Amino acid sequence: MTEQAHNEYNAMDDDAFRVMVHEWIVENYPQELRFKPYRMHWDEIGDWYLTLSKKGWLTPAWPAEYGGMGLDANKLLIFMDVCESYGVGRTPDMGITMVGPLLIQHGSQEQKDHYLPRILAGEYIWCQGYSEPGAGSDLASLQTSAVRDGDDYVVNGHKIWTTLAMDANMIFLLVRTNKEGKKQEGITFLLAPLDTPGITVRPIINLGMHDEFAEVFFDDVRIPVANVVGGENKGWTIAKALLGHERIFIGSPKFAILAMARLKSLAKTVGLFDDPIFVERYTRLQLDIDDLFATYKRFVEVLKRGGTIGPEVSMLKIWNTETQQRLTELMMEAAGENGGIQDGIATDDGLVRPAGEVIGSRPSTIYGGSNEVQRNILAKAVLRLPG
Amino acid sequence: MEDISLQSRIDALTEEQVLIQDSAVAFIAQDEELKKTRASRFVQPGFDTEVWREMAELGWAGFLVPEAYDGIGLGFNELHTVLIQLGKGLVPAPFVATGVVAARALIDCDNESVKKEKLPALVVGGWKPALAWQEARGSLSVSAQQVTVSDGKINGVKLFVPDAGGADDFIVSAAGPNGTELYLVNREASGLSIDYEQRIDGGFYGTLNFQDVAIGERLAGADKAEVILARAIDEGCLAISAELLGVMTRALELTVDYLQQRVQFDKPIGSFQALQHKSVDLFIQSEISRSVVLQTAALFDGEPSDRERAVAASQVKARCADAALMITKASIQLHGGIGYTDEANIGLYLKKAMYLASWLGNATTHRKRYAELTL
Repeated sequence: MTEQAHNEYNAMDDDAFRVMVHEWIVENYPQELRFKPYRMHWDEIGDWYLTLSKKGWLTPAWPAEYGGMGLDANKLLIFMDVCESYGVGRTPDMGITMVGPLLIQHGSQEQKDHYLPRILAGEYIWCQGYSEPGAGSDLASLQTSAVRDGDDYVVNGHKIWTTLAMDANMIFLLVRTNKEGKKQEGITFLLAPLDTPGITVRPIINLGMHDEFAEVFFDDVRIPVANVVGGENKGWTIAKALLGHERIFIGSPKFAILAMARLKSLAKTVGLFDDPIFVERYTRLQLDIDDLFATYKRFVEVLKRGGTIGPEVSMLKIWNTETQQRLTELMMEAAGENGGIQDGIATDDGLVRPAGEVIGSRPSTIYGGSNEVQRNILAKAVLRLPG
Repeated sequence: MEDISLQSRIDALTEEQVLIQDSAVAFIAQDEELKKTRASRFVQPGFDTEVWREMAELGWAGFLVPEAYDGIGLGFNELHTVLIQLGKGLVPAPFVATGVVAARALIDCDNESVKKEKLPALVVGGWKPALAWQEARGSLSVSAQQVTVSDGKINGVKLFVPDAGGADDFIVSAAGPNGTELYLVNREASGLSIDYEQRIDGGFYGTLNFQDVAIGERLAGADKAEVILARAIDEGCLAISAELLGVMTRALELTVDYLQQRVQFDKPIGSFQALQHKSVDLFIQSEISRSVVLQTAALFDGEPSDRERAVAASQVKARCADAALMITKASIQLHGGIGYTDEANIGLYLKKAMYLASWLGNATTHRKRYAELTL
């Protein structure tokens, strides 16, 4: 458990808290893992997960009574900001950001007692079984079936885009328990160990030539009814309700700011700041990021006041991800022929890889609800345009 | 008209901001059909003097003027709420040119006797100054070069003085022996002639020709004049941006309303995804603009350095100019044929955006200055 009484974090002066977090991270986060351009596997980042766990800093957003830091919105933002600024990589964090908060809200006492300490200890590492080949943007049309047989469900189906499934030993998934009526109302939320007989994991190589996600096949897999969270056919509601405070982080301008610094090094190296056409395009991007930052801070203020953020946060996702894509595209153009080679181009501040950046920025406009779906949401929920 | 901005969803206004905004909302509601806006187009002075008087009665003319000179001495955290409404209502009055740009120049100068006489008159709407600083198209340079002062006479040409036809006096920058100086020149001064350019929005720019015009009161010497001008123009950029935010916000409201009403192929056209996504992209631009306006207003009410103010002014003007043009042009497209008629009000928003986006530096000019200041 933590070394310090939890509420003391929130009582701390902001700057003192920032310094404390920063100093500890500098001391403990491995230098060679800073600013990794891909999602790391457990063999690289697992030790960091356990280091955070020992420190009691693995779950900054969880309430203190469940072993979290219990940070308020303001301190949580500082914590995340320090991590992003130092280039701390994401751990396989589905247990931390998804399952844990969901169990805290909707789990039974037995489920909380069993799962939460094991997430905190790094004993259970989770992956998410939501999407299917036929259910992407239209997630509610998912077909993986769970048929009741005694105290078990028998699960058959095919999940895809399961991030870091090969590192996980647990999966949480949405299954169809009712084929009648409204499709959202026949979905159940289940938990299962990945070594349950009948589950097969097959890695997928992405465009970055990295096996970041996988397919998971379910072939007559028996999952106990006791592993349902929130009740049969209630899965859609609880999975949707999870979209809380952390949605703000999809709008964080940190990645764009860092990518802009790489573009600047590149442009200096190849002498593009003498070209007024390039300077105009560069400045446009710089202002797109500055203005993103202003908008992000405006949303952050809502959280600091104790408010909640609704569907309007989709605009942050759209602007952030599309700005990053435009940025990588200018990087590639600035690099000339080097835009087409893997290793990129050497600059005074290190290697810049425009090709890798262009590829690496593709999925953010697809995952978490494609930007087209985000636009549908804004059109209906904010502009109130007819369906 | 339904407010679709994120203000009510995510912004926390102070009690004072709410009061001021409410009075501005009520003010523009008096001419919701834009009859006064239309009536003042294409005829001198290009705005409605009665509307200006009513605004002064509400105290707005003295918004930035310190209380010592009978003003209310507030800042942009409050004023931006008024400016947004003036943009929404296309209010035909030279508020930014008079109440912000010219007022700020006079407030910052150190000729106490002129300030004591003129600022209270400005506050009550009895006197309208205009700032004549610009000497070249597309320039943000506050260093006077072509307009000179020597032997007590001003000579040269000043460009793009908005609503000059309604101004009582001009605050004129001129190159003296030690650099730029500021003078107050009466519009009837001998040797001063004014040519007018018809603006697209129905107002006028004045071109001021000085031929041996005797100097009036000196407002600032070479030690201060350029600093005074820079601040006045940068605050003008923020004020224009807030007004542009109002222009784009109302244009989007009108357009979304139209998309909900207009039926084709047996459905409201707003149900078509192509138009929904287009509308959302416009909405995002308007809210990003709002974020930057809010941020810049807060910055200006602190104590920014001259450089910080200039960088922020260029940031906000670049965004709001581009966003307002993008939104108002797309609004014409989304209205279809009716949008191309003078009868439909949506076109008035495009024309106002075209004027405001290009006055005191368009987006490209401001990006260029931003790059010069930051790269």
